[in-house]
Amino acid sequence: MTERLKGITQKISRPLYSNARLINYYWQRTKRNKLAVFGLAFIIFLVLLAVVGPFFTLDPTLVNFEEKNLPPVGFAIEQSVYNIETDEFTTTKVSGTWKHPLGTDSKGRDMLAMLISGARVSLLVGLIATGIAIILGTIIGVLSAYLGGWADNALMRFTDVMMTFPFFLLLVLIVFIFGPSLAIIVLAIGLTGWTGTARLIRSEGLSLRTREFVTAAKAMGASDNRVVFRHLIPNVISLIIVIATLAIPGVILAEAALSFIGLGDPTVPSWGTILEAGQHSLNTAWWVAVEPGIMIFLTVLAFNFLGDGLRDAFDPKSNI
Amino acid sequence: MKQMHNHRLLQIRNLKKYYPVTAGLFSRHIGDIKAVDGVTFHIVEKEILGLVGESGCGKSTLGKTIPRLEEPTSGEIWYKGADVTKLDKKRLRELRKEVQIIFQDPDASLDPRMTVGDSICEPLVIHDIGDDRERVETVAELMEQVGLEARQANLYPHEFSGGQKQRIGIARALAVNPRLIIADEPVSALDVSIQAQILNLMTDIQEKFGLAYLFIAHDLSVIKHMAHRVAVMYLGKIVELANKKEIFDNALHPYTEALLSAVPSLKSKAKDRILLRGDVPSPLNPPLGCRFHPRCHRVLPICSQEEPDLTEVSEGHLVACHLY
Amino acid sequence: MIMDNTILKVNNLKTYFFTRRGVVKAVDGVNFELRKGECLCLVGESGCGKTVTALSILGLIDSPPGRIVDGQISYNGLDLAQCSLKQLRQIRGSDISIVFQEAQSALNPVLTIGDQIVEQIRLHLPMEHSQARERAMTLLNEMGIPSVERVMSYYPHQLSGGMKQRALIAMSLSCDPKILIADEPTTAVDVTIKAQILNIFRELKAKRQMSLIFITHDLAVVAEIGDRAVIMYGGKDVETAPVSEIIGEPKHPYTSGLIECLPDLSKTTDRLASIPGTTPNPSEMPQGCAFHPRCPKAMAICSQQESTEIIISREHKVSCHLYR
Repeated sequence: MTERLKGITQKISRPLYSNARLINYYWQRTKRNKLAVFGLAFIIFLVLLAVVGPFFTLDPTLVNFEEKNLPPVGFAIEQSVYNIETDEFTTTKVSGTWKHPLGTDSKGRDMLAMLISGARVSLLVGLIATGIAIILGTIIGVLSAYLGGWADNALMRFTDVMMTFPFFLLLVLIVFIFGPSLAIIVLAIGLTGWTGTARLIRSEGLSLRTREFVTAAKAMGASDNRVVFRHLIPNVISLIIVIATLAIPGVILAEAALSFIGLGDPTVPSWGTILEAGQHSLNTAWWVAVEPGIMIFLTVLAFNFLGDGLRDAFDPKSNI
Repeated sequence: MKQMHNHRLLQIRNLKKYYPVTAGLFSRHIGDIKAVDGVTFHIVEKEILGLVGESGCGKSTLGKTIPRLEEPTSGEIWYKGADVTKLDKKRLRELRKEVQIIFQDPDASLDPRMTVGDSICEPLVIHDIGDDRERVETVAELMEQVGLEARQANLYPHEFSGGQKQRIGIARALAVNPRLIIADEPVSALDVSIQAQILNLMTDIQEKFGLAYLFIAHDLSVIKHMAHRVAVMYLGKIVELANKKEIFDNALHPYTEALLSAVPSLKSKAKDRILLRGDVPSPLNPPLGCRFHPRCHRVLPICSQEEPDLTEVSEGHLVACHLY
Repeated sequence: MIMDNTILKVNNLKTYFFTRRGVVKAVDGVNFELRKGECLCLVGESGCGKTVTALSILGLIDSPPGRIVDGQISYNGLDLAQCSLKQLRQIRGSDISIVFQEAQSALNPVLTIGDQIVEQIRLHLPMEHSQARERAMTLLNEMGIPSVERVMSYYPHQLSGGMKQRALIAMSLSCDPKILIADEPTTAVDVTIKAQILNIFRELKAKRQMSLIFITHDLAVVAEIGDRAVIMYGGKDVETAPVSEIIGEPKHPYTSGLIECLPDLSKTTDRLASIPGTTPNPSEMPQGCAFHPRCPKAMAICSQQESTEIIISREHKVSCHLYR
C-alpha cells in the first residue's frame, strides 16, 4: 500500500509557491527572455554591491577638500585654482586615480562609495515602500472584489479620491510637513502609491470570483475566508509579483526626484542627493551628476525588463 | 430497471429564481429574468433524474440553486426532510457534504494553482475529516476509483487532458461520501470517445456507492443512456416529467416531441422532422399563457391565455399542456 | 484517379507548426476529393487536424509558426498550396467560402450584420451599395430569418446564437461560392436550432448544387447530411467511404469504435462501449499507426509501421494493417 502512496506528500495542503516544480516551470519560461535575464542579473549584482560593497570601499561620508573634484579613472580634466596671493589662476591637469576609481565630488567624497551607499538606499526604499503599497493595494483590491456591493463601492470611491491627488505633490507636502527623513519618505510613498495596485487586483479578483473553481469551493462548503486566502490570493500572486517588479523603479525614481528638488534626506547619500549636488558642477565635474544618473537609468531598466519577462512567463496565453 | 420505492432524498416545490433587471439612472427595477419559474419535482435515493432543456431554460440555474449557491427567490427545497432554504450556516455546510456538484468545464472547475491531490483533498480539509495520513490514502483511493494513478496527485491541472480533469472533478465530488450529485453538463465539453468513458464511470460509481444524480444536459441521447426518469424544461418551467421509457417512446408535450425529432441519429435519414418556428424567447419577457405556444405545432386558442399546470396524466407521467 | 466531376482534390497535404517546443504535425498526409454537388464530411475528434485542413485549403494558416510543407490542393487548375496571396484572396469568399464554428467570434461586434454582409459582397462583385443590400436581404430571407430589414441593422450581440450562425452562413453564401466549408456549424448550438441549420444546408445542396465540406465530430450529423465521409485521426485520413457504408460497415477500428461509443437514440443498451485512452497530442504522435495504443485489434506491425491506403471497393478506402 505504501508503494503506491510513494511520492504523495504527507502534508497535503501545501501552497503553490513552496512547490519547487511549479517554480521551476515558471523560471524556465522567464529564462527564455534575454532581456529579463539581464535585468535579473543586474539586480542581483546591485544587491550584492549594496550588501558587500561597503566593506571594500572608502567611507562615503569622508570629506577631504584636498581631493575634491577628481575625475574618474581614465579621464583627465583641467582644473583652475585661484591663488589668492598671486591673484592668478593656475591650471593643472588632474587625472583620475585608482584610489577614487569613479572620482570624487565637490567635497572630496569618494563617488564609488557614495554610489554604493546610494544603491542600498534605493533598494531599501524600493522594496519597503513598494511592499507597503502592494500589501495595502492587495488587501483593498481583494476585499473589494470579494465583498462586492456597497463595500466594493465605498472602497473604490475612496481609491478614486486618493488617485485624484497628484501623487508627487502629495509626497512633497508630506515631506515638507514632517521633515525630510528617509523613514518619512518611505512611508509617504507607500501610503500614496497603492491605488493602481488596488484597481488591478480588484479587476483580477472580480474575474476570478466568477470562475468555476471558486463556485466549486463554495459548493464544497468552503468559508469566505478560505475562498479568499486559499483560492483568490494564490491566483493573484503572479499578478502581484509583476506589479511589484514594475512598481519598484517608479518608487526609486520618486525618491530620486524628491532628493533632486531638495526634499531628500541630507544625512543619507542616495542617488538623488548626489545628483542634486552634482547639477551645479556639470561644467567642472560632470561625473558627479552623470554617474548616479546612469545608475538610476540602468536600475529602472533592469526592473522593467524583469517585470515584463515575468508577466509574459506567468501569462498562460503567451506562447513562450 | 425496477426502482424500489426508496424514500425521497430531495423534494423541490414551486422553486423560483428571479434575477432583477434594473435600468436607468436610478437603477429602476424594470423586470425580472425568470430563470427558474415554479419548478416542482423530487429525487429518490439511488435514482438518476435527467434534466434536459436548451440553453436559457434555467437548468443550470436550478442546479446551482438547490445547494443554495444561488439564493432562491421563493419556493421550497427539502433535503432528507430538512428545509434547505432555512438552514443556518453550520447546517448548510453539513448539507454541502451530502450534496456535491460536478461542473461542465473541466478546465475551469479546478484551481490551477493547486495540485490535483490538494483539490481532491480540499473537501476533507474543509470538513475536517481524517488526519493527514488518512487524507493521503483517501486521495489515492479516489484517484484509482476514477481511473487515474495515485502518483499523479502531485501534478497540476494543466498537465492533464480534458477527460482526465473531469475524472478529477468526479473524484473530488466523491471525497466526502455524498448522497446526491448534481452533474451540470458533465460531458458536454468532451470528445465523443472520452464522453463514453466518463458516462460509464459515472454509471459505475452510481451503482457502487448508491448515489442519486440530478443529471443536467442538453443532449437527449446522453440522457437516454443515463437517466431513470427525465424532466424536460422550457423557459424556466418543467413541461414534462416521466420515466425514461415513457419520455422516449410516448412523449406527450409538443416541445418534447420536437426535441426528440430534432436529435440527429445514426439510423435516421431526412425524416419529417418537426421544425420549430422562431427562436427561444427571452426569459425577461416570456410569452403569456403557455410559454411554448408561439412555437407550438399543436397550439390551441386557450394556450395563449392560460398557463397549463403540471398534471399527472398517467402513473408517474406529468405534463403541462392544454392538450391533456 | 480524378473523376470527371471532382471539383477539389487534396493530395498528401501536410501542414506543420514549427514552435519552440518542437514540430506539431497537425496535418500529416491527408487525401480526399470533393465532387460537384456532394456533401463530404470530415469527421474526427479534437486534435485530428480537420480544422487545420480546412484552413490550409484557403491558406488561412498563421504563417509563422505554421506552414504547408507538402502536398497539393487542386482547384480549377490551380494548386492552392502554391499559389500567390493575390490569387488566394480572389478565391476566398467567391469560389470557396468558409463558415466558422463560433459565430460569436467570427462576426465583428462593432459592425451591423448588414454592413458585414455588404462588405463581403462588394469585395468580390461589382455592385452598388443598394444592390448589395438587396442581395444581402434576399440571402437572410433564404436563411429563414424573420424581419430581415430590422436584422440588417442589428449588431451581432442583439441576435441569438442560432440567428448569428444563420447570418454567418448567409455571409458566406453572398458571392455564390462553388464550395462551402462549414467548420462544426452545429456544435455550439441547441438541438432545435441544430435541426434548422442542418435543414438549411440540405436545401443549399439541393437548390444551389453547392459542394459542401462539412467538418464535424458528430457521426449522427454525418448520417443526416453527408454523402461521403472522411474519418480523420492523428492528422491523417484513416477511412473514406459513402456515409451508409461508414455507418453500416465500418472497416477501421477507430470508425467502429466511434460508432459504438455514440450515445444514440436508436441504441437500446445502457452501457456504452468506449475507446480507452485519449486522443493523441499532435506534437507527440505514437510510432507507427497513430491509433494503435487504443486499438482493440492492434497487431505487432501496427506499432512499427503506418499502413498504406488500401482500396476495399471503388468508393471505400481504409488505412489499416488489418486489410492487407
